[in-house]
Amino acid sequence: MPLSQSDLPKKFLEIHSERIFLFGSIFTSFGILLVTVGGSWDITNHLLNRPETFFSPPHALMYTGVAISLIGVVLSFFGWHNLQNSKDYYFQSLKIKLIGIGLLIGAGPFDFVWHSNFGLDGLLSPPHLTLILGMFLCSIGGMIGISKYLKINNLKSIFSYLLILAVLPIWLSGSGIISSLSLPFSNTDYFELNPEPTFAFFVASMAFPFLISFSMLLIFRLSNLRFGMMSLLGGLFLLIYSSTAIVPNFALFDSIQFYSLNLIPFVISDIFLRINNSKKSLIFVGGLLGSIFYMIYYPYVMYTFNESLLGKLVSPSLIYFVYFELIETVLLYTVIPAIIMGIIAVFVSEKFSRKILMKKS
Amino acid sequence: MRKILLYSIIGFFIILYFSLTIFILPEKYLSNEQLVPQPYFEVILSNSEISLGDSFQLSIVSENRGDYGDIHILSTSFPTLSEIEGIVEIVTYDFTQSSVHITPGDEIGAKYSGGLESIIAKYPSIEAMNRPILPDAKNHLELIITPEKPGIFTIYVKSIDIPHTSNQSHYPYSGILDHQDEYVLDYSVNVNP
Repeated sequence: MPLSQSDLPKKFLEIHSERIFLFGSIFTSFGILLVTVGGSWDITNHLLNRPETFFSPPHALMYTGVAISLIGVVLSFFGWHNLQNSKDYYFQSLKIKLIGIGLLIGAGPFDFVWHSNFGLDGLLSPPHLTLILGMFLCSIGGMIGISKYLKINNLKSIFSYLLILAVLPIWLSGSGIISSLSLPFSNTDYFELNPEPTFAFFVASMAFPFLISFSMLLIFRLSNLRFGMMSLLGGLFLLIYSSTAIVPNFALFDSIQFYSLNLIPFVISDIFLRINNSKKSLIFVGGLLGSIFYMIYYPYVMYTFNESLLGKLVSPSLIYFVYFELIETVLLYTVIPAIIMGIIAVFVSEKFSRKILMKKS
Repeated sequence: MRKILLYSIIGFFIILYFSLTIFILPEKYLSNEQLVPQPYFEVILSNSEISLGDSFQLSIVSENRGDYGDIHILSTSFPTLSEIEGIVEIVTYDFTQSSVHITPGDEIGAKYSGGLESIIAKYPSIEAMNRPILPDAKNHLELIITPEKPGIFTIYVKSIDIPHTSNQSHYPYSGILDHQDEYVLDYSVNVNP
């Protein structure tokens, strides 16, 4: 029986629903990537230029990202709605994305009202926390959607690179949550929301190493142990972080040389696991990746440790003097817990990736 | 054998990475000289004497004669006034940040401490600010002032750059100290009854 004109869109949706869901997940993750890049740029902008209005280029980038994520979630919903036999398989991804986008959309007007009433807000404020949590959930939802699609369709080769787009926003938005809870950038004329220095010290020393190791090993596992994925992911992270936090600050420009060295441990991890991906090797790599957190989160992580260890007044052009003054002391205090957290992340990422990659029944 | 060679190369690069990032490069960066911005300004007063009810113009060209700086502040204060509303009007302003109006009773930084030490303001002032300040950057502030009382009308002007690393980070370097324990140049206009 021939299809009527009105049946065509429905048929199209039914046939391509899974692919639409994938595009929705890609859009969601890409949108969050823009939000996180904008967020990192915004921190630098506040530190250097102290913008006096809500309407700044980093905010524009962030809210463009929110719009793209929203389109992604809408696409995901339509895709999922028209799925014939894998609705349950993709439901978890959709559910997390819907909660995340709800928080993200709510954070926009909340942030505007906050700026209007209390002027310049700090890094940790109720609207910013809402925004970052929404970002994190959307990026998790996007990652699950992309990973499941690749797994169920047994797509390898070039499609594996989509996993970088899936994991990078998780790493960046996770970094945003940890930074909010540890950097002393949150006191304003109205509120004193800076985290307590000792608490901030512990948060940074434990959570950053965990997040680096978790993100790297997650992509390693999701890509079916594909060589080069960790280097690419790490390299992109370094590129984004350096272009938003180092390059805009004239006084930090020559430290690019220092920061680019951080590619070495990522490449080493890749090569090491290529030679031998036994449990012991994974533990070694996890520990190595955890131990380098102070270098990876250059320059702003210095502010957290300066609060507890030096208490100096650090203006932006003095950042690297204080950073390098602290480097040995910080590593002395943090290297062992950092290695342990990196190793814990090995096991957590294993469980997490296994759960994501479970085949549909 | 091949594995042992690869592990040795990996070990070498790990040692190289940690040596460079923890010991070698930090020492190199710490031996670099810190950037020292150096503020300077020139003031032009339109009149040295006026009649009560008339106005005069104060024009300031503020600049950075040193290195890149994070913040450049030009402060103009009025020790003979308790408020500036209706008396002082900004007519030209090209600094990157909005001007800050300080009124008596406000808590403000002191002794070039960047906010670590503070005092309570005794008289009003206007702070013009640039964030950041590039070498050789010039900015302008022009005020129209209409005194309300006869006598000597005094204006204090000073400039501070942050990071404040030495005596060169403020201008003037010596002279009269204001309520913030910071050096100022004073200018006065005789207001005839």
